[in-house]
Amino acid sequence: MIELALKILIFGAVVSGIWALVASGFSLIFGVARILNFAHGTLFVLSAYFGIVLIKYGINNYIAFVLGILFAGVIGVIIFRLTISPIKTHEVMVVIVTLAIALLVEQFLLLIFGEHGISFPSLIGGIQNIDGVRITNIRILSFFVAMATLILLEVFITRTKTGKMINATSQDMEAAMLMGIDVDRIYLITMFISSILAGLGGLLYSQIFATTPIVSVKALIYAFAIVILGGLGSLRGSIIASFIVGYVIVVTITFLGARWSEFVMLLTIISILVVKPTGLFGVEE
Amino acid sequence: MRWIVVLIIILASTSANVVAKDKVVIGVIGPMSLPEGQAEKNAAMLAAEEINKEGGILGLPVEVVVGDTKLNPDSATAEFRRLATVEKADMITGGFSSGVMLAMMETMAETKTVFLSDASSPAHPAKVAEDYEKYKYWFRISQNNGTTFAWDLADMIDFLNANGLKIKKVYVIRDEHIWTDAVMKDLKPLLEKRGIEIVKDVQIPKGYTEYEQLIDEAESLDADLIMPILAIAGTGDVLAKQWGTLKPKIMLAGHDLAAIDPGFFDKTDGMANYEVFIADGGALVTAPPTEMCKKFIEAYKQKYGHYPESHQAYGAYDAVYIYKKAVEEASKAGEQNPFDPDVVVKYLEKYNPENPIKLTRTIAFHKNHALAWGDNYVRNWISQWQDGKQYIISPKTVANGEFKIPSWLTQKEQEEEEQKTPETTKATPGFGVLTAIVGLLGVALLRRKMK
Repeated sequence: MIELALKILIFGAVVSGIWALVASGFSLIFGVARILNFAHGTLFVLSAYFGIVLIKYGINNYIAFVLGILFAGVIGVIIFRLTISPIKTHEVMVVIVTLAIALLVEQFLLLIFGEHGISFPSLIGGIQNIDGVRITNIRILSFFVAMATLILLEVFITRTKTGKMINATSQDMEAAMLMGIDVDRIYLITMFISSILAGLGGLLYSQIFATTPIVSVKALIYAFAIVILGGLGSLRGSIIASFIVGYVIVVTITFLGARWSEFVMLLTIISILVVKPTGLFGVEE
Repeated sequence: MRWIVVLIIILASTSANVVAKDKVVIGVIGPMSLPEGQAEKNAAMLAAEEINKEGGILGLPVEVVVGDTKLNPDSATAEFRRLATVEKADMITGGFSSGVMLAMMETMAETKTVFLSDASSPAHPAKVAEDYEKYKYWFRISQNNGTTFAWDLADMIDFLNANGLKIKKVYVIRDEHIWTDAVMKDLKPLLEKRGIEIVKDVQIPKGYTEYEQLIDEAESLDADLIMPILAIAGTGDVLAKQWGTLKPKIMLAGHDLAAIDPGFFDKTDGMANYEVFIADGGALVTAPPTEMCKKFIEAYKQKYGHYPESHQAYGAYDAVYIYKKAVEEASKAGEQNPFDPDVVVKYLEKYNPENPIKLTRTIAFHKNHALAWGDNYVRNWISQWQDGKQYIISPKTVANGEFKIPSWLTQKEQEEEEQKTPETTKATPGFGVLTAIVGLLGVALLRRKMK
């Protein structure tokens, strides 16, 4: 029984770490700019595809990993500059445009790479035997990278000048402008950070599993569900909700079977939202 | 008198139709974003190109038109109807996915279009047997019936047991889909007869990736074999990757459609090494069963820069050639309209187990239009990935390699592995607790910072 609990604890933690990265990026850009970026899942897969293509052209795996993350950031900024920025005050339009971009990129990737998965080569191989539970090193690394990134993000937002400006903008955009903060620049920086979080999540995910164009939709659904559960715009809520979702999936696979995992996860989220419509850490506006 | 005039007009218009025919249209239908659909399209186009170079079919050039099922019955039936009625396809080949196939068979019956198809559910030939006049235009050419997959899988276990493994408990991971239900229905009694227990039968949805937990569970249930029966999930590569990384003391062998792709090994980062799979469709790039198959594989590589992405390529290629052959036979026999679907069906049926035709595989149809199964026809050869190459390892008549047991499955080599990489397999007591504590600390720190 202890071994089973340990299995759930470990597998749940690892799955949750990656989704926490993706969801926190989604939550960040919403919290700061009130933008529901439905192309967030697209950035999740684009980083992995870009990294895989670089490796095919002989680029070192580590360099490809870093460039893949930066690529997601740059694409995120381009999407923001060209499409979101002109319509950012119209929330519904933002949703429609970013969703259209997501579907367009998905079709493009399907045409180029097809639907079957491809993997980013694992940065580290081998496994660990943790009290009888065997787990791949890449899963453990992914968990720690995710946690370290989230802590760095927190330090950046609370300790650095730019981070404080982001925080200020998220609290009151007009007051931030009156204080001389270049809000458009802050939005751009936030979009870049949000995108590299998605990109990092995608690269870690494609090492453990495999990436396909369809995964972009899965990442978006997970990110959206987690953020709604945690409370829109709440970074802390997103992280905790990621762990709830991760553990619900792992427990369901363990006790009910693989086919029920996503069904039970979504049912849990709906049940929580019925009791607390603003999400776990959301506040009514 | 009037009816004679009407008859003359009808006959004249029928004959005008035959004369007016200026090309033969071959429709290809499949999921075009998947390797299966692409392979069908590429192979049919290659066949058409070759046939056109040789003067076409009865002197008429062959044109290929393409429809995308998107793995969705609605799109599939709409596209089938477009190919049959707008593009006026004389024959349609392709398919993939048994559920989608069932929907397309209705449109096929309605439009009376010869359909040389893919997919594997026994429900399809059953329809031909039940209502022959309605469904007779359907023939399965790409692969065998799902029931034969069960025979192939049981044979595979016999082969593994005869070659050094002791398989008594099987952990099944299969598509949550109609085609695997048919396989399981027949596989269960076959395994029971051999005294083999299915310790768990796990159904997974499309896109499922969390295999590590399942591998772990299989190990805790003392399974000797993880048997994937996967096609629609599309994530056989993830299973192979996680199996090859975790290296459990369980063999991975089964029906994993993704493993047929020549690029599979690279997609799994080499972790698919030693995976045993049954090669659908009776052909592998590395072991072509006929001379025509060998030529086709090389021609495909030359035209597209890579080998066929999936076994559906052989089916689509054979479909175009067998259609040509049937039409030519009909014409030779003096049929007034050799392109008439009812006539073509009659001549396709002549390729039965007593009179097979050798194309890329040896093709013969049963009375219910299912593809004949067996060592002398088409069956799923037992194959294995070894150091980046696919080998057929059984039956001996077509085998070009021998079965290799993964090193970590033998005790001696397991010890060697441990000596080589002690840090990766050494137990780390308390590591899980440590991981959890670090995670919780991170969250606590975040909470404090947020305040």
